Amino acid sequence: MSGSVNNSVLLPDRFRDPYTFENVISMQDDILKSGCADMSRIEFIEPYSMVSLLLMGRTYLRLKGEKLKLVNIPMHLNQYLHRMDFFTEGIFNVAEPVEHNLMLKRSVASKRLIEITGIPNKERQSVNVISSVIALFRKRAPGILKFWMDESVVDYFVTVISELCQNIFEHSLDTGYLAIQTYKSGNENIARLVISDSGIGMMKSFGSRPDVVYGSGAELIEMALTQPLSSKREFGYGLCQVNTIVERLKGTLFIRSENSSLTALYNKKDKSGKHLFHRNGLAHFDGTQISISLSA
Amino acid sequence: MIIDVAKIAKSCKIKLPDLITRPVGRSLYAAVKGKLEYAGTGETVVLDFEGIKVIDSSCIDELIVRLIQDSFSRDFYIKLRNVSPISEINIDSVFSSYSNYRDRRIAVVREELGRNNKFYIGPLSEAERDVIDYLRLNHRASVNDLSIFSGMEKETASTLINGLSSIRVIKMEDGDFISI
Repeated sequence: MSGSVNNSVLLPDRFRDPYTFENVISMQDDILKSGCADMSRIEFIEPYSMVSLLLMGRTYLRLKGEKLKLVNIPMHLNQYLHRMDFFTEGIFNVAEPVEHNLMLKRSVASKRLIEITGIPNKERQSVNVISSVIALFRKRAPGILKFWMDESVVDYFVTVISELCQNIFEHSLDTGYLAIQTYKSGNENIARLVISDSGIGMMKSFGSRPDVVYGSGAELIEMALTQPLSSKREFGYGLCQVNTIVERLKGTLFIRSENSSLTALYNKKDKSGKHLFHRNGLAHFDGTQISISLSA
Repeated sequence: MIIDVAKIAKSCKIKLPDLITRPVGRSLYAAVKGKLEYAGTGETVVLDFEGIKVIDSSCIDELIVRLIQDSFSRDFYIKLRNVSPISEINIDSVFSSYSNYRDRRIAVVREELGRNNKFYIGPLSEAERDVIDYLRLNHRASVNDLSIFSGMEKETASTLINGLSSIRVIKMEDGDFISI
């Protein structure tokens, strides 16, 4: 491992879930100013944090025309990030690349994940990618959904992937990414699907609909989730359908757009309990990021 | 007329078993519409989804909703067959949204009993469901028969049954009503 790099920003070990990753998002301005992130403190990265870091790197590339430098990446993380195709798009400048013989093998680990996949913002290209991702998901579903395995759960996930990926090219005006992984956290098995973009975000997208009135960003996210709203058409179905499915699966849904987020904890929903949680005034992060998790 | 949707999808080079995205729906719609040129007036067109697992809301909007809209102007009836449980949920959700926002209900009958324990998909009332079930068993009935069966006043029964006929989930023939 090389030593610390001058002016690098030391990233905290806050890559464990969407909530702790807020800490990293709040450091985004410093990271983009510095152009170099020190990852030596990070022990674990889950899919949402990984894809968000990728978006951060892409933002840096677009703003500065240079690659964000990542230094002191612990070997196990470096292997994992290579395995998930994190470096495939060439967004980062990696100080210590993994030797080929130390790369994680694809055959065994492939059963419980879908590598980071770019979702284009052009309809025709996107349709082909979505179709391929879904075909791959069906193939790997017995591993990814091992603890929830039921044919209907696979079909529910196919619907969710399809609806959310289409939102990228229909509404974000940008390309996005998808990743899936099942992993263990303590005694819990978590299957997490992440679909994120760094596009215009929901508030700007709904700017074309003055008839849709809302108080805060989180309120708009909740409206889009619980009512058949669309920023492009008279009405829409996608997010509502996703919400219905996550509720049926008793999963959790996290949506972050610009500086607001909404968490739906259907795994903890009971007749009286509150299960939707709004947050506003978060650090700004371009686009919309969605994480759907099942735990067992 | 029976339309094998999977067969048409294959001919359109659409990867099965899922029918997802708007372009896929549009492509299927164009192919099915070509077949409907041969449908007779008042004919029932069965859309058979054997071999299809997921139909997403975009595809439902571009294919099934458009065919139902066409059925009004072209005078044919749509019936679904072999709809998977997830597709049933997705169709129901799209139809409910459509009905809420357009202020015009849409529904479609199906051949087999669904997970919703109904022989149709869409936002219909319990009384309307009873009429559809009655016609399914008895095939043909007059307003009088249905008034006696439901216990409704003849005028109320007539309004309800004509409403079902107007959204094309039952047929009217020689003054009587028949199942699709």
